[in-house]
Amino acid sequence: MKPAPFDYHAPTTAEEAVALLAELGDTAKLIAGGQSLVPMLALRLAVFEHLVDLGRVENLRGIERVGDSLRVGATTTQSAVERSEVAADAVPLLARATPLIGHVQIRNRGTVGGSLAHADAAAEYPAVALALDAEMEVLSPTGRRTVASPDFFTGLWSTAVGDDELLTAVRFPVWSGRCGFAIREFARRHGDFAIAGAAVAVELDGDDRVRRGTIALFGLGPSAQRSDPAEAALGGAAVDDVDADELGQVAVASLDSVPSDLHGSSAYRRRVGAAMVADAWRAASEEARHG
Amino acid sequence: MTPATAGLDGAAGRYTGSRVHRVEDPRLLRGRGTFVDDVVRPRMLHACFVRSPFARARLGAVDATEALALPGVHAVFTAADLNPGVHEAWYTSMGKDVPDTPRPPLAEGEARFVGDPVALVVASDRYVAEDAVELVDVDYDPLPALVDYHDGPQADALVHERYAGNVAGSLGAPCPDDLAAVFASAAHDVSVTIHQQAYAPVPLETRGIIVEWSGEELTVWAATQAPHEVRMFLARLLGVAEHQVRVIMRDTGGAFGQKVLPMREDMCVALAARLLPAPVKWIEDRRENLMAAGMSRHEHGDLRMGFDGDGRVVGAYIDHTQDVGAYPTPWPVGTAAAVGMLFPGPYRVPRAGFRTTSVFSNTSGRTAYRGPWQFESVAREVLLDIAARRMGIDPAEVRRRNLLRRDELPCTNPNGMPYSDISPAETFEQALAMLDYDAFRRQQAEAREHGRHLGVGTCTYVEPTTTGMAYYGTEGATIRIEPTGTVNVYVSGGSTGNSLETAVVQLTADALGVDLADVRTVQGDTAVTPFGAGTGGSRSGSMLAGAVAETAGVLRERIVAIAAHLLEASPDDIELGESRAQVRGTPAAAVPLAKIADVAYFAPAKLPDGVPAGLEASGRHHARNPMIWANATHVCTCEVDVTTGAVRLLRYIVSEDCGPMINPSVVEGQIAGGTVQGIGGALFEHLAYDEDGNPLTTTFMDYLLPTATEVPAIEYGHVETPGPGPGGFKGVGEGGAIGAPPAVVNAVADALAPFGVEITRLPLTPATIVELIEGAR
Amino acid sequence: MGEIEIELRVNEAVTRSTVPPRLTLADFLRERCGLTGTHLGCEHGVCGACTVLLDGDAVRSCLVFAVQADGHDVTTIEGLDGPDGSLSPVQQAFRDHHGLQCGFCTPGFVVTAEAFLRDNPDPTDDQIREAVSGNLCRCTGYQGILAALRAAADAVET
Ligand SMILES: Cc1cc2nc3c(=O)[nH]c(=O)nc-3n(C[C@H](O)[C@H](O)[C@H](O)COP(=O)(O)OP(=O)(O)OC[C@H]3O[C@@H](n4cnc5c(N)ncnc54)[C@H](O)[C@@H]3O)c2cc1C
Ligand code: FES
Ligand code: FES
Repeated sequence: MKPAPFDYHAPTTAEEAVALLAELGDTAKLIAGGQSLVPMLALRLAVFEHLVDLGRVENLRGIERVGDSLRVGATTTQSAVERSEVAADAVPLLARATPLIGHVQIRNRGTVGGSLAHADAAAEYPAVALALDAEMEVLSPTGRRTVASPDFFTGLWSTAVGDDELLTAVRFPVWSGRCGFAIREFARRHGDFAIAGAAVAVELDGDDRVRRGTIALFGLGPSAQRSDPAEAALGGAAVDDVDADELGQVAVASLDSVPSDLHGSSAYRRRVGAAMVADAWRAASEEARHG
Repeated sequence: MTPATAGLDGAAGRYTGSRVHRVEDPRLLRGRGTFVDDVVRPRMLHACFVRSPFARARLGAVDATEALALPGVHAVFTAADLNPGVHEAWYTSMGKDVPDTPRPPLAEGEARFVGDPVALVVASDRYVAEDAVELVDVDYDPLPALVDYHDGPQADALVHERYAGNVAGSLGAPCPDDLAAVFASAAHDVSVTIHQQAYAPVPLETRGIIVEWSGEELTVWAATQAPHEVRMFLARLLGVAEHQVRVIMRDTGGAFGQKVLPMREDMCVALAARLLPAPVKWIEDRRENLMAAGMSRHEHGDLRMGFDGDGRVVGAYIDHTQDVGAYPTPWPVGTAAAVGMLFPGPYRVPRAGFRTTSVFSNTSGRTAYRGPWQFESVAREVLLDIAARRMGIDPAEVRRRNLLRRDELPCTNPNGMPYSDISPAETFEQALAMLDYDAFRRQQAEAREHGRHLGVGTCTYVEPTTTGMAYYGTEGATIRIEPTGTVNVYVSGGSTGNSLETAVVQLTADALGVDLADVRTVQGDTAVTPFGAGTGGSRSGSMLAGAVAETAGVLRERIVAIAAHLLEASPDDIELGESRAQVRGTPAAAVPLAKIADVAYFAPAKLPDGVPAGLEASGRHHARNPMIWANATHVCTCEVDVTTGAVRLLRYIVSEDCGPMINPSVVEGQIAGGTVQGIGGALFEHLAYDEDGNPLTTTFMDYLLPTATEVPAIEYGHVETPGPGPGGFKGVGEGGAIGAPPAVVNAVADALAPFGVEITRLPLTPATIVELIEGAR
Repeated sequence: MGEIEIELRVNEAVTRSTVPPRLTLADFLRERCGLTGTHLGCEHGVCGACTVLLDGDAVRSCLVFAVQADGHDVTTIEGLDGPDGSLSPVQQAFRDHHGLQCGFCTPGFVVTAEAFLRDNPDPTDDQIREAVSGNLCRCTGYQGILAALRAAADAVET
């Protein structure tokens, strides 16, 4: 199980990286932590003539609070997020999602940008980005642009990042006020990609009514997705009036392309998804109410 | 958790029975082991197989032009190149007279499963070999495949043309009329069909072999459980004399039956080595391992058991059918008979019968796996729980009424198995007491009121270990007390994880009365050690103990004679201990073993009359019993989340009787390892195929082995009934893997009993559990 | 395709080599450095047998290319014991608690445990389980391994 041959490029700036991508075209692929890409190369499910390593690119790594958001550089490792007090403080949902990713050896290499750009349907970070309305900073040969998370995830393993583009950072808005956050997932074994999961963020007003409530699902479609019907059900509702189990049902009721495989049929995933939404809602609303 | 190992290294005393530190550990812990992939030979080449992407296809031309043009590629072999080199291809353990199933090195004419080796590429390294594999152009003409063995007898597709109905063989008989009459008139006549999925040994080290042909000598480094079987098989394969073949293995990274016999790939590499100018290495990768290294456990049984009004068994019958894949290793029909013969288990069953049928399919071939017959326990124990529930009697109570008691032993079960030296009722009671079964039932009732679903399951089995038959019936040891008085003991053995090095050193130190630190062992080299049948059938402990005792006895007598002579004492007064000989009760009158050895080697004139020079002996133990019985009870408790179907194991207890223990840590390690494999089989592992015969679980992302977060703490209870063999030791290598699946299934079934769920199909994935609950609602 | 010159520290020794980009760090260590204690159980990132420390962090060496380790610091199982071959406290705990059988998974577990206990000297049992959940063992049923980590942690603490 050895990868096919490729040429290796190690640019030191982001501009150099995108220039290389533009020059090499679709025979090239970026490699960040390699935790998703290398297994595919080893299994020869993917073959590229060129790998462009982001490991030596400056200024892509780091976690900082910038005004009302937390800016996380694309090559920041998942472990760095796990260890970051700034992140835990500003964006609890991101911090809570991180230990659910694989295992420590994976998180020591795997990057935030890689997780988002790879956009696995069952990955945690895309759901976190969606739930919090994160914004992605993308560099292309022609300049920088910002992509809102709903526009970022475009389908199965696909994103708005073009072949000659680079995700440089992601900005997670810092929610303030009476907020609560929770992520729940069900996997066959600890550390496996989830069979189904849900991330919930909620902000309550002084009367315990939902001011802002978002629900992102993962493992339940070709990519992570927000549940519009469930969020609509939350809109302005008093916390006590929300039946968590019903909310879960609403969240999965209208899903149309729920995957099905050896580990579970779509009906099963829906059922588990509903339970994860319900659990996550309970935890998040509880936190919002009582801090 | 395991109690700490006593730091006994170097101290004198009786080592057998204590938790001495393993002698294998320092090299393995420091990364200095020698696994087959660690061996490098000058000019060594690397092999990689071209494998069929189709479950069944007619093979046309193989065009290797492009592959051969790739720099670094040395050769591409096809069936036409390698297969004619086969002289004989039968296993010593089976004998050559069984009606063996086909075993061509490379697929010839037809590919018969996805992963079937079609060609062999040899290149300067594995990377280039894999590049070349992609360039080999094989003309496949896909044919309809038989993927599900259940369809075998009716299918149009034949896996092998000469086997009508795809049946590799059948033993036993349909349920006889008189037994059927027993069932018909029984108070409770329970029929059920139980299905087990395919899963596999999956050692963490894949298969691997290096073969070097010098023109006169074939040297082989292999990942194997049985170096001598590899030697005999390859010698016959190539038509060279046995003594021209040398097989070496130092460390093997787990085997569990998968590495007990050389398989088709090993044959290919050996045949290719004869045609190559340099040694060739093949290290299987994980995808190949999960695709082509064999499958086990895929079988079902139509079961029938009758009970009287008190829940006592009046008769039992199993009609067993197993999937043997396309190319089973070894001939599978004979071993399957054990499923039928052991089906009555440790219970008082007055009448019984069985039939077993082996059916081919276009999937990976069946291989041996830790307790190959374990379906007898899965079938019986799951059936007993179902029957208990149908009869309205607690499953533990049903067992209590039927378990064989000590005063009923020895006895022969109705299918002819002669039980002796077992304690099923004792292990059962001990395990239930460790759990506090009644307290658990109360806790369960309380939990149910709060909507929580707890369950308890048990499995009690008897297991034949240490077969005394044919090839397996003897085991040799050579002991050399070197001129300085240090000791080397040579047995076939080899390290595959079962601590044979440590066991042999313990046994030898005690047998010779020397310090543990003075004994080393050399194993796993057929040029050096006596012949031995290797690890299999839970035989090594007892057989090696016999071999060491036999051999050490000779040396002991010689040491005593020399010491008596030197000390001018009577041999009857000499005792050995702490690496010296002394006159009993007179510590001052002692002579160190070093001195005795010095005399034996360098001053033979000083030896007493009739004592030969040197201190070297070989001996061979001959097993006098057809088998040595072991038994155990597994008890497991669990909680089932009825929303997600997740099963959490709460407590896991194994009470076992393997006789006296050579090393309790090793015994417990074997039990734990086997148990977790069984838990994997019950809950996680599934070597699955789609309808077209494509394997779905060829990576560790899809084939789910249990990890540290899924397994419970395992608690051990020991009952000690000495067996009839050396030291009273019995086998313990396989049992864990036998007892765990039914215990886990029964625990889950117990938790779900209020829903009216009956479990008859493995594995219990969360999704299937939810389906069962929904189905019952 | 072009080979690349790399220089890295392996078990404290500066090592230079010219490697094809596709050579994994695991194969580099095993084949170029002769450090065969790093084992390959899957080559796709799941089993953990190939775990090494890269700049002190436990990583899967089958998922890192040797070229990516250029300029970095690698510690393998061979770099953990004393120069005289004495076992590290973690290695000793594995021996004391029968934390290994065939030994194939062992280097990965030991390397993972060394980093974990360095960063978490006072772990709970659940944290211990989670720390090694990315390493597969087929022999031990994990019982001895978990006992070894517990003991090693307790020894550090006292
Ligand atoms: C055993 C195992 C278990 C895992 N479990 C989980 C899990 O439970 N949850 C989970 O979310 N993940 C899991 N992962 C995947 C892991 O989190 C990966 O690290 C992550 O998906 C990708 O990050 P990476 O930095 O490794 O990206 P790489 O593997 O280097 O790249 C992945 C893809 O993203 C592209 N890419 C990377 N960075 C950028 C960028 N900055 N801009 C544009 N494109 C980019 C690459 O070109 C490539 O296509 C697991 C992996 C393994 C091996
Ligand atoms: S070999 Fe690297 S994780 Fe398995
Ligand atoms: S000791 Fe054999 S795989 Fe862990």
